[in-house]
Amino acid sequence: MSSTRFGWRVWVVFAALAVLPAFPFMTGYRLNLAFDALLFGIVAMGLDLLMGYTGLVSFGHAAFLGLGAYSTAILLERGVRSLWLCLLVAIVVVGLYALVVGYFATTRRGIYFALLTLIFAEVVYTFFRYTMTFGGSDGIQGLEAAWVLPAVPASAIDSPLKNYYTVLVLLLLAYVACRVLTDSHFGRVLIAIRENEDRARFLGYNVRRYKMGVCVISALLTGVAGALYPVRLANATPDLLLWTVSGEAIVMVMIGGIGTLVGPVIGGAFFIVLQEEVSTYAPKIYQAVGLSADKGVGLHFLIIGVILVLIVLFMPKGLLGAVRAVGLRRPRSMAPAPAGGSE
Amino acid sequence: MSHPASDGRPILRVEQVSKSFGALAALTRVDLEVRQGEVFSLIGPNGAGKSTLFNVITGLYPPEAGRVLFLGDEITGLAPEAVNRRGIAKTFQITNIFPEISVFDNVRVAAQSRAPEEGRLGALWRVADVGAEVTALLTAFNLAGRADERAHNLSHGEQRYLEICLALATRPRLLLLDEPTAGMTPGETRAATELIRRVAAERGLTVLLIEHDMSVVMGISNRVAVLHFGEKIAEGTPEAIRSDPRVIEAYLGGAD
Amino acid sequence: MDYVVAVLLPQMLHGLVFGAALGLLALGLTVIFGLLGVMNIAHGELFMLGAYFGIVVIALTQSFWVALVVAPVGVALVGALLEVFTLRPLYKREPLYGLILTFGLALTLREIVREVWGGDMRRILEPIAGSVPLLGMIYPKYRLFLLGASLLLLFGIWLFFTRTRAGIIVRAAVQDAEMLDGLGVDVPRVFTLTFAGSAALAALAGLLLAPIFTVVPTMGVEMILLAFIVVILGGMGSLGGSVLAALIIGEAQSLFSLWMNPQRVAIALFTIMILVLIVRPRGLFGREGVLE
Repeated sequence: MSSTRFGWRVWVVFAALAVLPAFPFMTGYRLNLAFDALLFGIVAMGLDLLMGYTGLVSFGHAAFLGLGAYSTAILLERGVRSLWLCLLVAIVVVGLYALVVGYFATTRRGIYFALLTLIFAEVVYTFFRYTMTFGGSDGIQGLEAAWVLPAVPASAIDSPLKNYYTVLVLLLLAYVACRVLTDSHFGRVLIAIRENEDRARFLGYNVRRYKMGVCVISALLTGVAGALYPVRLANATPDLLLWTVSGEAIVMVMIGGIGTLVGPVIGGAFFIVLQEEVSTYAPKIYQAVGLSADKGVGLHFLIIGVILVLIVLFMPKGLLGAVRAVGLRRPRSMAPAPAGGSE
Repeated sequence: MSHPASDGRPILRVEQVSKSFGALAALTRVDLEVRQGEVFSLIGPNGAGKSTLFNVITGLYPPEAGRVLFLGDEITGLAPEAVNRRGIAKTFQITNIFPEISVFDNVRVAAQSRAPEEGRLGALWRVADVGAEVTALLTAFNLAGRADERAHNLSHGEQRYLEICLALATRPRLLLLDEPTAGMTPGETRAATELIRRVAAERGLTVLLIEHDMSVVMGISNRVAVLHFGEKIAEGTPEAIRSDPRVIEAYLGGAD
Repeated sequence: MDYVVAVLLPQMLHGLVFGAALGLLALGLTVIFGLLGVMNIAHGELFMLGAYFGIVVIALTQSFWVALVVAPVGVALVGALLEVFTLRPLYKREPLYGLILTFGLALTLREIVREVWGGDMRRILEPIAGSVPLLGMIYPKYRLFLLGASLLLLFGIWLFFTRTRAGIIVRAAVQDAEMLDGLGVDVPRVFTLTFAGSAALAALAGLLLAPIFTVVPTMGVEMILLAFIVVILGGMGSLGGSVLAALIIGEAQSLFSLWMNPQRVAIALFTIMILVLIVRPRGLFGREGVLE
């Protein structure tokens, strides 16, 4: 049973998101921006399962994102147009990779785990960056739209509006899946592992298996989001695989609120919108003031960097975490009355 | 002080166990036999190897030599989670709980580890309701009123009790307590000792105990063994140990 | 024989040169990790800052040599400020917060540099031009100087860590940070000075290597990965280990690139690091049990 404290508020937000395109200010450009925001929201939410609930920091999530994107791109390039097939292949590919990385990375803890995920992701990046079959540094360009229903032209996902609803549905499904997971016994064990891994072992839990499991699940969420990316962008490039992208995902989780599931989605949206707005307007402002326009290119990173430092120092629970702390002091447990169990 | 009856059969056998850390020989050919139903204490100066022995028994490190047998089965070198599932539960010398979740949730996650793990996907989602069992444990250790508190808000003594609850929640047959009264006031220590004795008797548990506080050891144990520099130097009833000259010398003459 | 002289030998020497400078970089990283428990992702940016500060000083004084002294001091100051205001509050927390914070610092530093100096590639001219006959080949003088300077610096650092009281304390504390408490040392000051020192080392490496590579705001991003590999291989917290590993990795990279394309070289190095992390995470000389 879903006992989230946000409860009904989340569904209100989803409803609002569903009618968002009806507003006149939502141009095609803004819809695409919203698409990106929600997509990275899914990525950040997947990472939060690992970071917030299990206490494992991964610096390699870009690999799951990129592998998902490339598997869709490769299929679309070769004429496969079914969205389902693309998602399915992405799940298989990302799942296999995640099993390998998870298997090795979970042999170590803390920073070593982070470094292992980082290095594996670098291998994937290097592979795609330098392999000409996949377009090298240019990636795969000029893709056609994917179709939801075969041979039904109207089901081609070829407009910002259709893109948007596709990712919104995916976000909804991902959120439900994550909630079910975190409210289940599996989720509680993850929290126990985060709190005290050794203790969990000595209480009879095969901690390694749980860690591998959450690695794969987190990876799949990110990978499916990645698989959707070429649907909007019509391309897949190795830039998706840079380790700095993994860092950006971590930033999204930290800003939004680690361990809240909803927070990282907000963090993702915040990041994407900030990035877009700043990189659009900063060069213009710079030129107006007489500075070289190209200096404005990275300004959003500067802002993000500063925000991240401030968050870690002063608000480590992120935006949502701060909101929570104010209102609700009680930890999430059942009252000790009998028959209070929901499991 | 009446001791719970022991039916004499061994529940745990430690045979010739040796364990070194690099050049440091922590345990040297230690033999031990713990009988079902008894309270067995392990004492010795600091650094004698007592905690190491616990860690070998519960699978944190495999020994270099020797065997550990539990209920007749060999468990040498099994992983900690496997050892726990066989029926041995351990508490830690330094309190090792789940700090940010509630007391109730602490014990609940411990109790739910008994759900079958292999191949039962459904078990990941829904596990048997253990609320009653958790409440009973908390009540036995006077923690029921604190069930909703975050574990790290508990006082030191309460945390030590929580430590024991966690171990008991896994329904062990053998309970390993590593200095359970560490850091407690004399009053708390007396209460804790009595509580442990009672709970163990009620549940038919065997208890293997590391202790420094002699009043606890003398009052609660059926038998005592003494470790010194990794070797067992004496074993017997509490009275016999108390007057054993080798033991006295180890405590007075040895490093502390 | 011609091949050896014309191709192999220079390449091996390149590897040594690069490895020595990499050693300076990695040394700072491993000392900070051992002492403060922080894996400083921003170390690459301190490296990069050294090059840019060098550009500034050279523009003012027309002298590379002055820059070699002044720039590291400037970066050391930056490092000290960062340590005091951003890292110090995190020591009591889990080490992964430090990792995330230094990532934020890296982003910030990189973009500040881009804001001030722009993103264009810049060049620092070799202060010593020309080549010299050596072992049958013609080898650039500056690279020889680089090798000499790096080795000299490493030797000087070795002296510091083994012959001075301050150095011995820091070295011991890198192995076991808790022992500092019992010595009556001003621990926060030691931390700050050590961090500043490691920043200075990174800056030196950056400035020394700048004439060979181009100077861009992203030059630290590429180096930090290599520095991580070196530190892991050598053993986190092992000073000698990181220097030795740097030479090995520098040499390996150089030699591999004779026979493999850059992709394979990179993957080969990553594979080495993965194997080390899995099989022997403490590397060549690290302590057992560190963060395992």
